[in-house]
Amino acid sequence: MVLINLTGIQPTGYTLLADDAQPKEGENVAVSVERLLGENSSFFNTAGGVGAIITTGTAFSDLDRIADKLAFAVIEFPAFGDGRGFSLAVRLRKDFGFKGEIRATGPVIPDQALFLLRAGFDTVEVTTKRKQAFEAALSRFPGFYQSDFGGQTSIAHARHTVEGLGVEGHRKAS
Amino acid sequence: MYAYDTYDHAMVNARVAEFRDQVDRRMKGELTEEEFRPLRLMNGLYLQLHAYMLRVAIPYGTLSADQMRKLAHVARRYDKGYGHFTTRQNIQYNWPKLSETPDILQELADVEMHAIQTSGNCIRNVTTDQFAGAAADEVADPRPYAELIRQWSTFHPEFSFLPRKFKIAITGAAQDRAAVKWHDIGLVLKKNETGEIGFEVLAGGGMGRTPVIAKSMRDFLPVPDMLSYLEAMLRVYNEQGRRDNKYKARIKILIDAMGIEEYTRQVNAEWEKIRHVPIDVPEKEVARIKAFFAPPPLAVSADDVAEVTELANANFIFKAWLNNNAGAHKVPGHAHVTISLKPHGGIPGDASDAQMDLVADLADAYSQGEIRVSHEQNLILPHVAKKDLPALWAKLDEAGLGTANAGLLTDIIACPGLDYCALANTRSIPIAQSITERFDDLKRLMDIGPLKIKISGCINSCGHHHAGHIGILGVDRRGDENYQLLLGGSGAEDASKAAILGPGFNEVGIVDAVEKVVAVYLGEREDEESFLNAYRRLGPDVFKEAVYGTD
Ligand code: HEM
Ligand code: SF4
Repeated sequence: MVLINLTGIQPTGYTLLADDAQPKEGENVAVSVERLLGENSSFFNTAGGVGAIITTGTAFSDLDRIADKLAFAVIEFPAFGDGRGFSLAVRLRKDFGFKGEIRATGPVIPDQALFLLRAGFDTVEVTTKRKQAFEAALSRFPGFYQSDFGGQTSIAHARHTVEGLGVEGHRKAS
Repeated sequence: MYAYDTYDHAMVNARVAEFRDQVDRRMKGELTEEEFRPLRLMNGLYLQLHAYMLRVAIPYGTLSADQMRKLAHVARRYDKGYGHFTTRQNIQYNWPKLSETPDILQELADVEMHAIQTSGNCIRNVTTDQFAGAAADEVADPRPYAELIRQWSTFHPEFSFLPRKFKIAITGAAQDRAAVKWHDIGLVLKKNETGEIGFEVLAGGGMGRTPVIAKSMRDFLPVPDMLSYLEAMLRVYNEQGRRDNKYKARIKILIDAMGIEEYTRQVNAEWEKIRHVPIDVPEKEVARIKAFFAPPPLAVSADDVAEVTELANANFIFKAWLNNNAGAHKVPGHAHVTISLKPHGGIPGDASDAQMDLVADLADAYSQGEIRVSHEQNLILPHVAKKDLPALWAKLDEAGLGTANAGLLTDIIACPGLDYCALANTRSIPIAQSITERFDDLKRLMDIGPLKIKISGCINSCGHHHAGHIGILGVDRRGDENYQLLLGGSGAEDASKAAILGPGFNEVGIVDAVEKVVAVYLGEREDEESFLNAYRRLGPDVFKEAVYGTD
């Protein structure tokens, strides 16, 4: 597996915390949403950064109680077509103002690279075999019709500003 | 008409380049069919019974003459010389070669067309009234809103991997010619008491094995709120629509399960959170798009034209065509003209390359270079001066495009069925052909009046049989092709679900049954009563008796 960096964020290194384990002092750990919902503040205080492992079956409203305590989030796609993962990222950014890293894992496909970026993901874990195709996909479209969480404004706006999207498209290479 | 600027061009060109790369990788064996499948499906490329099938979008059914010429060229150069216009205002090519599909898409991109989101679990081509911008009974032209939705939904970062396909239809007239109540979302343009324009919003309609008529969830949504409201509707569906069973994944099932009140409550709650976020499309952009749909410069003239009346009095066929295929235009002295793609004995919705070229030329000569495609699989010239009708008709008639049956019994919708479709139980096209041959008599057809027959070769309902005044559904009965007869459906503003009348028939029996149903109607109707109204008054029993006998 390799990590594709979509936004240029500093990716978080972390340990997957076993079900019965406790975080070491200062350690970055990733933990299921179910477990996090039952943990108290000492858990969050001990760990360096706590990330939620979010399955696509998670209701966004469950994130309400933990979102502001999270350092990062890992959204697991069970299949590339499970579009709930995109809405979960949007919810984190939009409803909870989440600023940390959002990572995608699971069998997402290279042609989804820009969709992930635009929905608010920073990084995506992919098989080494797909790395090149992912990177190629990232530079494919100069602009889109929607303003997005990757920081690009929509074509609809660009049309009415002097700079427009620029020659190369205005997504800054990261 | 909408015209692409550099942004739109860059987008479709990038899409073609991407697809070319994917096809290359497939041809070289770098991608397996399994890996390639989701990619080709995002570009409207299906694998059918005999070959690939390419579905090209005709956004809200509007085409320029040049675009039509390109469709003809593609049919000639890359296919077997014809294309099939569908109930979703798309065109399908049945015989493209995989290696050539990127070239086809590039040629289409050159005339501002694409196959983006014509398949897959995303927001599909937005459909509308084929007479938009021309119909006399219109509140407002729905096309600027359809174009806004097209742009907003294209490559949407959040809504491109929905539980299932998603279809939006929009109409600007009270008489619904776009079947909005049979769509996942239906929008009906209307004016409120203060004269402001907005939409009635309906949700949860759909066909397939569980036919459901959409329910109204908001009586009046102001125009500037359209996209934020759609966003809230889609978000709730994307999050909660079922993904465990594709037959239960459409929004109609979600809304049935939670109830329209609860769905509306959740949508409204989400909308309250996002409606004040600076809307994604600035006002200037809305104005820019609207300007493309400014009414064409048609000179008002008298509605009565002597040459037209004279020819109609002298020639019954022209008179019939005038009556059935020419409709009331906003601008006096003009008509919108339906070119029937339903010649008796022919294949509903098919057009040859030569016919497409001719329609393009006629559009240039008589209709401001504009053409429409209807969900009833016909072509429309939206802006024809009445004085030109005789000349236009003569040219159409000569090319086999003058069939005077728009809206009549032989104006049949039929899906591709077993002739092309890998999912089919039965053939559909030959049934349509047999019925039109059986009723090949214009006087009789006009006596019968408006009657919509719709045929699907399986329960997926691509032929809208649930919405047919007479619906025909192909089922598999122990390996034999069997046809069920349904009565009383409607796809219009008075939408209703057709009901199965009784046991099915073989391919000859179904045509006899249709004839008996029509005979009952003719015997029982009162005054000017239409077939549908007569059925609604009489109920199924008299029809059942006639078709199946008394015992
Ligand atoms: C030949 C290849 C085709 C295939 C494999 C195909 C497949 C399907 C399937 C599987 C459904 C059911 C979707 C669902 O219930 O969720 C469906 C529905 C539909 N298709 Fe097709 N189709 C084909 C051609 C067409 C054509 C040619 C038309 C237009 C004439 C069309 C128009 C529709 C419509 C209107 C529906 C009903 C939408 C609804 O359920 O609300 N399809 N199709
Ligand atoms: S209704 Fe069935 S047979 Fe007809 S095109 Fe659709 S899937 Fe194929």
